[in-house]
Amino acid sequence: MRFLPRLALLLLLCCSLATVACADGVVEVTAPGNRLLKLAVVPAQPQGATVQPDLANEMADAQVFDLNMSGLFAAERRDAAPLPQGLGLSVIDYIPWLTAGYDLLIRGEYELRGDELTVEFRLFDVLNKKQLLVKRYLGKRSDLRRFSHAFSDEVLGVMAGAKGAFTSRVVYVSSQTGHKEIYIMDWDGFNTRQITRNNTITISPDVSPDGREIIFTSYKRGNPDLYKRALSSSVEVPISTRRGLNITGAWSPDGSKIALSLSKDGNTEIYTINRDGSAPNRLTVSHSANVSPSWSPDGSKIAFVSDRLGRPQIFIMDADGGNVRRLTTNGSYNVNPSWSPKGDKIAYARMMGGFQIFTINTDGSDDTQLTSEGSNERPRWSPDGRLIVFSSQRNGGQAIYVMRADGSGQTKVSHTGGQNIHPVWTPRWE
Amino acid sequence: MRKEGKGLVVALGLVALMAAGCAKEEVVKKDEPVVPQQTVKQQEPAKPVEPAKVEPAKTEATQEGATAKASAANALETVYFDFDKSDLRQDARDALAKNAEALLKQLANDKVKIEGNCDERGSDEYNLALGDRRAKSAAKYLETLGVKADRITTISYGKEKPAVQGHDEAAWAKNRRDDFVIVK
Repeated sequence: MRFLPRLALLLLLCCSLATVACADGVVEVTAPGNRLLKLAVVPAQPQGATVQPDLANEMADAQVFDLNMSGLFAAERRDAAPLPQGLGLSVIDYIPWLTAGYDLLIRGEYELRGDELTVEFRLFDVLNKKQLLVKRYLGKRSDLRRFSHAFSDEVLGVMAGAKGAFTSRVVYVSSQTGHKEIYIMDWDGFNTRQITRNNTITISPDVSPDGREIIFTSYKRGNPDLYKRALSSSVEVPISTRRGLNITGAWSPDGSKIALSLSKDGNTEIYTINRDGSAPNRLTVSHSANVSPSWSPDGSKIAFVSDRLGRPQIFIMDADGGNVRRLTTNGSYNVNPSWSPKGDKIAYARMMGGFQIFTINTDGSDDTQLTSEGSNERPRWSPDGRLIVFSSQRNGGQAIYVMRADGSGQTKVSHTGGQNIHPVWTPRWE
Repeated sequence: MRKEGKGLVVALGLVALMAAGCAKEEVVKKDEPVVPQQTVKQQEPAKPVEPAKVEPAKTEATQEGATAKASAANALETVYFDFDKSDLRQDARDALAKNAEALLKQLANDKVKIEGNCDERGSDEYNLALGDRRAKSAAKYLETLGVKADRITTISYGKEKPAVQGHDEAAWAKNRRDDFVIVK
């Protein structure tokens, strides 16, 4: 009950905190040496009549997973007795956390009325004994993981200067039903949902920059054609059904165009088309195969795969097709380019027995191998550039994995059976 | 323990791949003696489609004797390729010559769809382009042998439709192929 009257005050707090964050950029909380910041997540305390420890634990576990994967924190769930004064901490309340060696603390409250869920999370700086962040979320019970991820996004905003992308989801392809179909899941593998039901080969999804639509290639009419569909709808609109291949569609960063590979003129060449499929404009001219375009974040350049020199290598060209240059020079078979959101790096996969994932600067320097276990393909950067999702064949299956951009923390996230391939992130939930 | 096993598998895979590179010549040469047309003509009876796809040597030996149109359609020979290649080997040209003859005689009123396929090793997206190129190189050769272009369509399945399961050169060699399907 005392929850609601405090809303106005909290909103005020949020605003003032936001101002502070804007003014200061990054909050200065530095762990001694180079160790990770130790962060305790206390499961949210119940308000009102409905007490559901499972719900509170699930929210805490989601944040622990997010924040550990960020690479900035050593996060863990810690149970603690509720304090009489609610979520605020008096100076003396910090002491046990300080003595236990924590740098940061997340506490929360939830109220469940029927299906209506209200959650408030707070982040505390234990060393400096101050509250850094307050956020309040109102929605349905089914939103609980999203609320947790949304607060994780904010924690990174305050602690590292750029929000996380834990509210992003991953669209991917699974052969679980016996056919390759498109699925969507939260970035951490929860809330998996099958999107397409074409009972044929359906592959290579890409998500529009506004997060509302996907494009993909499907053989549903016999030819590998490009389709578009809203995530909220089941209507699939064919947008490129040209003779031959209509594959590896990639939405431009401003959403106005789609780069894709067409073989209508003989070779498989890269074109751009409008989002409705009209006005094809050929970008590559070669006697070879050109596939897998990936836009630079400013839309001025496109990385792609071409075997114009024999085996497939990664090239970069201007978005109008000019100034083609070869990017990868190591390895004899490099594919799957993905341009980082900051624009400085390209992740790709190299065949060396199986495939392994590398990152390379766009000037060709710092070519770095990130994976070595099993066979790993199709890297795609998270919207905040901190994580890379990829498809991995290891331990007898082919699943979707996530790792940090430096290759650490490789973790299986998909739960669907069969082959799981072609992951791509949605934008974060704002 | 498990990790080590995995590492070993990966290492073996690597070795297998390297070996494949070296062994390629050998594999091709082994195939060649089976191909020459004289040998083919001596051996008769038509065989069902199934072994035709799995056993290239037998297919090549059986096709010529087939007289019924249906048999001719079934016996259109699968064409095989080297790793990451779409140019036609001698055995592929021989098979295409037989396919062209069938398309010009018993199947003169039919159209053919050439389905390009790849083995499992390459990148699936790049393999779609490779399969497209394999289908088209067979189509072009059929055209030079007199089959009208408007009777031929091509499609690529990349590595989505392997003819045989398996993760060794024997399986890969059978999956790097063009299938020929009569369409009404």
